[in-house]
Amino acid sequence: MKRIWTMWSRELAAYFFSPMAYVVMIFFLVVMGFSFWLLATVLSQGVRGGPVMNELFASIFFWLTILITIPVVTMRLIAEEKKAGTLETLLTAPVRDSEVVLAKYLGALSFYIVLWLPTLSYIGIMKFFEPPDTPIDLGPMVSGYIGALLVGALYLAVGLFTSSLARNQIVAAIGCFAICCVLFLGGFLPYLVHSESVRDIATYLSSVMYMMDASRGVVDTRGIVFHLSGIVLMLFLSVKVLEWRRVV
Amino acid sequence: MIKVEHLTKAFPGTVAVDDVSFEVQAGEIVGFLGPNGAGKTTTMRILCGYIAPTSGVVEIAGHDVLRDSQAARRNIGYLPENCPLYPEMRVDDYLFFRGRLKGLSGRSCRQRLSEVKELCGLEEMGHRIIGNLSKGYRQRVGLADALIAAPPLLILDEPTIGLDPNQIREVRALIRGLAQQHTVLLSTHILPEVEVTCDRVVIINRGRIVAADATWSLIEHASSPRMIVEVQADAVELKDRLLGLGAVKAVEIEPAGSWVRARIEGHGGMDMRPELWRFLREAGWEVREFYSEKSTLEEVFSNLTAGDEAEKAAVETVA
Repeated sequence: MKRIWTMWSRELAAYFFSPMAYVVMIFFLVVMGFSFWLLATVLSQGVRGGPVMNELFASIFFWLTILITIPVVTMRLIAEEKKAGTLETLLTAPVRDSEVVLAKYLGALSFYIVLWLPTLSYIGIMKFFEPPDTPIDLGPMVSGYIGALLVGALYLAVGLFTSSLARNQIVAAIGCFAICCVLFLGGFLPYLVHSESVRDIATYLSSVMYMMDASRGVVDTRGIVFHLSGIVLMLFLSVKVLEWRRVV
Repeated sequence: MIKVEHLTKAFPGTVAVDDVSFEVQAGEIVGFLGPNGAGKTTTMRILCGYIAPTSGVVEIAGHDVLRDSQAARRNIGYLPENCPLYPEMRVDDYLFFRGRLKGLSGRSCRQRLSEVKELCGLEEMGHRIIGNLSKGYRQRVGLADALIAAPPLLILDEPTIGLDPNQIREVRALIRGLAQQHTVLLSTHILPEVEVTCDRVVIINRGRIVAADATWSLIEHASSPRMIVEVQADAVELKDRLLGLGAVKAVEIEPAGSWVRARIEGHGGMDMRPELWRFLREAGWEVREFYSEKSTLEEVFSNLTAGDEAEKAAVETVA
């Protein structure tokens, strides 16, 4: 546990030593700020009832940000260490491969949470300007953040996995982007197929549908289970990739 | 401290390490030599648990590197080839991170940090960013990292590569100083280094061990003894009479002004000096030079590993 903590703090600090982190943060805040502006516009037009939080958590801007930000956040995790040779010093220290993977994952997840932190101010802003007769419902906000955390956490795990496979960071990023795109576009399957059973299954496996629900205030355990098991699978595969290197 | 038995490592298409066995006792400094691509780094990586052997057993301080990897690794301070470090970190932060990773508590880590910095001459460098350091200082940071948890065994892959002659001398002194508390296995290309630093050498060539012995004994036995004499005599007569001696294997004659110089090669494992001296005295020639030429580890090394440079070059061209 102590070793995971030690590696986690180095991972997180490493983000802030590189200019990439600040570029990502600016990009993230610009796009999320724009989404918030859209949300504020919708609210100011006096829409009553109906889901409005999807402007923040299920719009094309949300997905664009996720799909671009996450590969950039995760690409360096293992690929950089492989290229620089520091993976050798890291893995010959008395640490388990699983501890390395977990610490790196938690580091990336923490950075992702840091990315979202400034957006919490949107809640304050909305609370400040809310009309007295129709107070802002915090429920969809909370479920939206839970959703963004879960979906981000799954895509980060995908990115960690591709980073463990690649030696080149760009290759890792493109691999992550490709897999996440498949996951994202696969999320539209329920709209496209006519077979009832396939549609049911596709709905469970769809991050897109999950975020639509989440931004309406629904916290669906099936979606939580899907995303968590995806994370576990990706982390498991990453550990296996690191172990594979010892064998081959 | 290190026990390697029938270690083999095959990569797709090549066998990097082929049935290698050797042992290193506690307290020894052992030089691990071999031409580039001989399998040194591969062997060291296996010892440190970075890659797994195809077959064979490796034990570090009694712990199997595969089955008891964590315990084995806790006994090792490893400096990999090219000394990889995190360039964005400060020296102090990096060494502290490494110490904590190797299981030191916060307080003992801080204490060890100042000790190893002093040992490696990094006192002034604590706040410098590693990426801005010179190659020599980066090498010292790597060495300090290997030392920080005070492991009983140090495995150093080319610790003096890229250093200037003064730094090499410093590192050499440092390693010899370390030998009191640590067992050291180091690989290097700089053979005079090994001669002065290492008690024992293991020479590996194309994945196989070609020699493993105490440094002095290897030098003594691996090549035949040579004597140089300069006398005032007739060249042809000198050569003939020298070749008549039992201890002499070959003679080369060359003129040195009005004198004649003979390079005399004896049979290995025999001391020809007494017989030669007796002969010269009896012959009654004037003698102005009489000394034995020590062969160097370099010669031993090239004798043992020569012959396949051309072969290897051919393979590389084909590849």
